[in-house]
Amino acid sequence: MAEKPEKLVVDVQVPVDYTYNYRIGPYLERYIKGLGEKKILGVTCPECSKVTVPPRKICGACNRVLDEWVEVGPAGTVENYTVGHVKINKGLVEKLDSPQLLAMIKLDGATVPLLAEVKSIEPTELKKGLRVKAVFKDPPEDSLSDLSHFEAEG
Amino acid sequence: MLRKVAIVGQAQMNAADSGMSRERMLFELCKGFYDSMGITRHDIDTFVLCSNDFASGHTISNVFEDCPVGAYMKDETKVEADGVMAATYAMIRIMSGLYDTALVVGNSQGGSVMRPYLVMEYTLNQTYDRQLGLMNELSAAALQARAYMDEFGLTEEQLNKIAARNLRNAALNPFAFNGRADVTPEDVAASDLLYEPLRQLHCYPFTDGACVLLLASEEKAKELTDRPVWIKGVGDSLDTYYPERNAVRSKSVKLAGQRAYKMADVGDPANRIDVAEVSAKFAHQEPIICEGLGLFPEGSGGEVADRGLADLDGAMPICPSGGALGAYAFNAGGLVRLAECHRQLAGDAGDTQVVDARTALAHGQDGFCMQHNAVMIVSVEEG
Amino acid sequence: MRNVAVIGVGYTPVFVSKRRDVNIVEMISESVDAAFQNTGLTPDDIDAVTFGNMQTFEGLNLPHLWASDHMRAIDKPIIRISTGGTTGMSVLQAAYYYVASGMYDVVMAVSWEKQSEGDSQVGLSGIVLPEAMTMVAHGMDLFTGKGIGFGGGGSTGAASYQAMSYLHHSGAEPEHIDKMAALERSNAALNPYAHLRKKTTVEDIQATPMVAFPLRFGHTCPTSDGATTCIVASQEMVDKLTDGNVAWITGVGSATSDPCTANFLEGQITDPAEQKPAKIASEKAYRMAGIENPGRELDMSEMYNGFAHQSLMWLEKLGVCREGEAHKMLDRGALDIGGEMPTNASGGVFSTNAIGTSAMNRPAECALQIMRKIEGEHQIPKKIKKALAHGWGGMFQYVTVMVLADEPG
Repeated sequence: MAEKPEKLVVDVQVPVDYTYNYRIGPYLERYIKGLGEKKILGVTCPECSKVTVPPRKICGACNRVLDEWVEVGPAGTVENYTVGHVKINKGLVEKLDSPQLLAMIKLDGATVPLLAEVKSIEPTELKKGLRVKAVFKDPPEDSLSDLSHFEAEG
Repeated sequence: MLRKVAIVGQAQMNAADSGMSRERMLFELCKGFYDSMGITRHDIDTFVLCSNDFASGHTISNVFEDCPVGAYMKDETKVEADGVMAATYAMIRIMSGLYDTALVVGNSQGGSVMRPYLVMEYTLNQTYDRQLGLMNELSAAALQARAYMDEFGLTEEQLNKIAARNLRNAALNPFAFNGRADVTPEDVAASDLLYEPLRQLHCYPFTDGACVLLLASEEKAKELTDRPVWIKGVGDSLDTYYPERNAVRSKSVKLAGQRAYKMADVGDPANRIDVAEVSAKFAHQEPIICEGLGLFPEGSGGEVADRGLADLDGAMPICPSGGALGAYAFNAGGLVRLAECHRQLAGDAGDTQVVDARTALAHGQDGFCMQHNAVMIVSVEEG
Repeated sequence: MRNVAVIGVGYTPVFVSKRRDVNIVEMISESVDAAFQNTGLTPDDIDAVTFGNMQTFEGLNLPHLWASDHMRAIDKPIIRISTGGTTGMSVLQAAYYYVASGMYDVVMAVSWEKQSEGDSQVGLSGIVLPEAMTMVAHGMDLFTGKGIGFGGGGSTGAASYQAMSYLHHSGAEPEHIDKMAALERSNAALNPYAHLRKKTTVEDIQATPMVAFPLRFGHTCPTSDGATTCIVASQEMVDKLTDGNVAWITGVGSATSDPCTANFLEGQITDPAEQKPAKIASEKAYRMAGIENPGRELDMSEMYNGFAHQSLMWLEKLGVCREGEAHKMLDRGALDIGGEMPTNASGGVFSTNAIGTSAMNRPAECALQIMRKIEGEHQIPKKIKKALAHGWGGMFQYVTVMVLADEPG
């Protein structure tokens, strides 16, 4: 640990709260609408056939505007995962009371994996290849959290 | 024909808490550097600053940095990316023929002023990733570590060896502050579990850091020093932001390396590179970067750890300085890697000296899990 | 040193207060698409990308990373340059250097701002927020004391000192500021890519309230959403990829003074209207461009004017005319689109200010004027052989300058 100087002139904390109002754009707007209908929507690139979820305007690899919409999931396969014992709150690490299960899920019909929380299983059950299915919020709240989390399938 | 450019000097400082304002930190470092080189700020044709608005807590972070580094009434600009990119841009400015000397100065105060994980969070798009709140620098790094381990069979013990090696190296480096002389893989295994398999001692420390490099054209370089460190090649590449990117076989590391090797006419990196300083912010990133750069075979991270191939006296010394685990400040990070290469090639690396180092590689990254990578190859061989 | 030209420009379809219909990266993709369309190039033709904006306005760090796909920058070398108000020109200058160095042949320079998504005054005050809070912690009075521009109307308060000093030294009157404002807004009315496009009279300007004497509300720039992309190329690539109708970058310069220029601290060191960096940067650019008498040899100028008095001030500081001459040029119509030194035919920053683009739009407009590719009615009638573009920012201390021409240097 570095030594603090003898004369500390001033130590000023500047807590600042700025409010930003973002436009999420038409692709995410439609995606959220789909979540409200318990549908997970993606877009397909006509050139490389990659199915992207959540949807976005451009396929960067192919230089194409994406406008072919497709429904994917609601079930999928865990491709990668981690069990979190901490969370980060405004840049500070805080210990969690119970572990958080996160997974990169390849939804049926999608190419791009989706990061989501997995619940109702033990941390040791979370592994690559696990089949999971989406759980939607009911009633929907018109936000991304309408896709609440995933649970083990079956 | 590209104009030849060399690094003629460097200075750096890293601490958990510098105990100073960044203006003071920059002034002390730069003034000290000028004095040690026997030059003044008037010998500098252009200044390339490297800092970040969010990390400094100031809109237009360079506004208050210009005067402390000596850029008053001079040509200056600011790169907001890893330090290797700032050094690349300074080189490019000299190559244009309009400048003969360039001072590159990078800094941030992630130890005492701004929270690095929060600065990284602002890098996430606010339309989706920040809203979900699941992705942060640690969870992303953990997923990347898991992916590498699953793909290539790297064990936790081997991962801990990588961390321990870097921390022990850092203890021998007077410019790193996070080193621990006697740390073992078991110590790493005992450190706090964050997101499995990521542990506290796998991670870069929050750092107040600043680093300055002086670049010069061939004629000026030979005036300023007996041992110019020539920039032989540079390359950088941007990967997609999105999760379809393969974070284990990193395309952007590969392309950055290929571009730098091509420019430097390095056909066989594993043999031609004597020492590499890579910006592995987390221990598992070291094998990913080194393999992408062709320094070790793909997937060999475990074997490299077990056989000590990356050790100071190994076949391919990696981060004798201790790397990012020894000290890592945004913007300064990549410059520190270059400064360490300079120390190696100038024979100034003290207890971390790689014997007969003539050609070195520095790597820097930006974004989550190395979305953007930059490489610079330097050598005492003028060629 | 290689010859480098601007071969094309791409603007977002509009620059407006609020782009509600797109998110940030979708907006950026529009200007990149426009640049490809206007040049006939594809992403494969681009060797590297330079990129910048003023990111605290959106609260988004390193936005080039998120914009990777939407910019068509995947697998490309990329650098982010961020220098406040001068960002747009710093980004274009980086592209210039990338090509001039011999490292790359075709480089795309992307700048943007979506100011509607944040709070511009808050973003601007972020330049000095830690210093301001420290001063408050020391018990200094920031809001009623003298000489503190911070509290006196934000950036307009700070600029009012500059305007007063300019009027004093030049002999211009506040009415000249009104007149310049009316001229530029009327120019903007001819420019489909400008933000404030209402034909404006001197009386309209004078009817707006005074914010901080002598600056009125009608003298201040808007905040806009928009993006600008320029593509630059080496001579060899100009021959290969274009019909030769390009705008050559013949001079570049930049310089910085100290942040006290903005009058933040009581008892400033530097007269905010002195702007010595303008002299340093422009002399460098003129020397490089082989220009000995800028007033005679330049055919137009695009000045970075966040405030209406600045167009006049910059003409003097950049050596286009002597001190005290600019307002006389204005009076005799020399600064009009049809005059001898058309200034801000586009309407300037004063009419359009997506701040990341503002310093790039100046050389972009010069390039379009030279190539005679202006989409609008503000194409200057006389042939433009040499044009001056200027950028400004920071705490009033950064100046960047570019000279563009119809022939390589």
